[in-house]
Amino acid sequence: MSQIDELREILVGGNAQEIAELRERLENLDQRTRDVAEVLAPAIGEGISKDDQLIEAFKAPVSQSLKSAIRTEPDSYAEILYPVMAPAIRRSISQAISSMLVTINQTIASATSKEGLQLRFEAWRAGVPYGQLALRRSLIYRVEHIYLIDRESGMMVTEYTKAETSILDSDAVSAMFTAIQSFVQDSFSQSEDDRLTDLKVGEYNVWVAHGSKLMLAAVIDGDPPESLKFEMYDVLDGIQSDYAQQIADFDGDNEAFGEVSGRLEPLLQLRAREEPDAEADGAQSQDEPQTPGTRKVLLIAAAAIIALVALYFWAVAANQRLVTETMLAQTPGLAISNVSWEGDKLRVEGLRDPDAEIPFAKLAAHGVTEADLEFATVPFRSLQPAMEMTRLQGELQPPSSLTMHPLEGRISVAGTAPVTWLMQHDARLRQLAMEKRIDYSQLHADTATVLDYIIANYSQALPARQSELLAQLGHQPWHKVPAKTVLQLK
Amino acid sequence: MVGDFAVGKTSLTQKFVNNVFSDKYLTTVGVKIDTADVSDTKLVVWDVAGRDALSPINAAYLAGAAGIVLVGDGTRPETIKSFAEIWQTVSGKLGDVPVVVALNKRDVDGWEVTDDLLQTSIQSSWAVFETSAKDGSNVPELFAALVDRINC
Repeated sequence: MSQIDELREILVGGNAQEIAELRERLENLDQRTRDVAEVLAPAIGEGISKDDQLIEAFKAPVSQSLKSAIRTEPDSYAEILYPVMAPAIRRSISQAISSMLVTINQTIASATSKEGLQLRFEAWRAGVPYGQLALRRSLIYRVEHIYLIDRESGMMVTEYTKAETSILDSDAVSAMFTAIQSFVQDSFSQSEDDRLTDLKVGEYNVWVAHGSKLMLAAVIDGDPPESLKFEMYDVLDGIQSDYAQQIADFDGDNEAFGEVSGRLEPLLQLRAREEPDAEADGAQSQDEPQTPGTRKVLLIAAAAIIALVALYFWAVAANQRLVTETMLAQTPGLAISNVSWEGDKLRVEGLRDPDAEIPFAKLAAHGVTEADLEFATVPFRSLQPAMEMTRLQGELQPPSSLTMHPLEGRISVAGTAPVTWLMQHDARLRQLAMEKRIDYSQLHADTATVLDYIIANYSQALPARQSELLAQLGHQPWHKVPAKTVLQLK
Repeated sequence: MVGDFAVGKTSLTQKFVNNVFSDKYLTTVGVKIDTADVSDTKLVVWDVAGRDALSPINAAYLAGAAGIVLVGDGTRPETIKSFAEIWQTVSGKLGDVPVVVALNKRDVDGWEVTDDLLQTSIQSSWAVFETSAKDGSNVPELFAALVDRINC
């Protein structure tokens, strides 16, 4: 043992072992880590309960770590936040949609009612757009303007408004709120805690939420629910805690508060008039979107559609009846007195010649089939020329050398015909002529056939008799041939 | 805008903001607020009700002010003498803020502003303007000077 060691032994004695151990602990990194880990949690707890220094020290690194972690693993954080954010987003969207639906329904309903017409008249008289007046009447309340004001100076920190309602100088309004606040407090109360919270000017309500440094004033058209106050305080508290430093440094320059107006936006809400039992809760009104206004509109629309359909069918039926009546009236052999719908059939009344041809093909083109028609007609013989022609042609089977055409109420039968045909139909032709149904004064026997007839039947007769026969049958109109002669020749 | 009753605070403000002047005297109750743009600075002008021995200035209306226009009536020396008392209230609330002084009614006969009065009532750091709300003389200069001092 050296002298120094001896001296050390004398000075520190038995503690040398402990010193060596302490040195070992300090130099050994693992050991030191274990030591710090042991005291870290209680030390943080102690530091936080003591004052805000530790929180301040942690703020920046924690915030930075969080940002970095979110950037690296956005999906994981989105998953964690989803259960918190999703319901709030859903609720906000459903509220916005339901408010819009209610307003639209209300506006449509009012536009079609007596009140709606009255409103139109009022809008015209007042020279304001109908939509603006209707919307205003249909609203219970609408927050039109939100001001965030520095309590101390009365200067406006920021504002949020519906663009079309922004007609006032926001800085002046903010200052005025503060002035009124001071005036009221000075005049009515000495306590700092007694503050002006509500103002009513005409149809406008001004609600003021007071924070330690800021105040939030909402200009509301109509009567809002009390719950709006809580929302205002929520927003105000949030801003005051998140912008504490900027508020403390506020000197009128509101650049640092650029993003605050976004927080005010949810307060710019409106609520339309609806059924007394309909709740302010957007979800419920979304479940039952049919207000009486909607039902009324739907009923009117349905009735209009039904009326249109009925009108269409009525028009089709009327057209079918008219077409049928016209066509049948033009059909030879029919004398129609009435055509009318009897159930699903068209009943045709009048006189009907059995030979008349009903134009079913033409009627089918207009949707009238044979099955649709029900004839309640009395049979008769039509003397219309067309019918007579048809009938005579069927009966007489005239040769092609004959022509038949209507002439002065009769049928003219003209031309030359084989003498055999003439002799066969002689009696009938004479009868028809007597009945004044035909005129056959221009009907002649074909001379060649007369000669053939004479040769065939009278070849043994004297030439004089042959000449007489030829003159009688072939050289004069047939009606001049005596009936007796014809009978004899037969 | 602070000063005694009827020195022309509202008239100066209206001349500056709206370029109008009225001979009618309407006393201001509480405070009236207007805004005006001076170059690229927006001024929110608090026209505070005038004071007298019985009604001191309501200090609540001074809160947050960036500058002060002290207004006196050049035809009534007592309204200039009371600057000291007004300044006590103002500086008590705001500390050493920029101040411009308007000695108003320069167009009216009976101007009684003397050097002695100025020396005893007006601090050397204050900018002084002899103004007329009626003809508008020195009114824009008054507010421009205030804005300059605030922005310094």
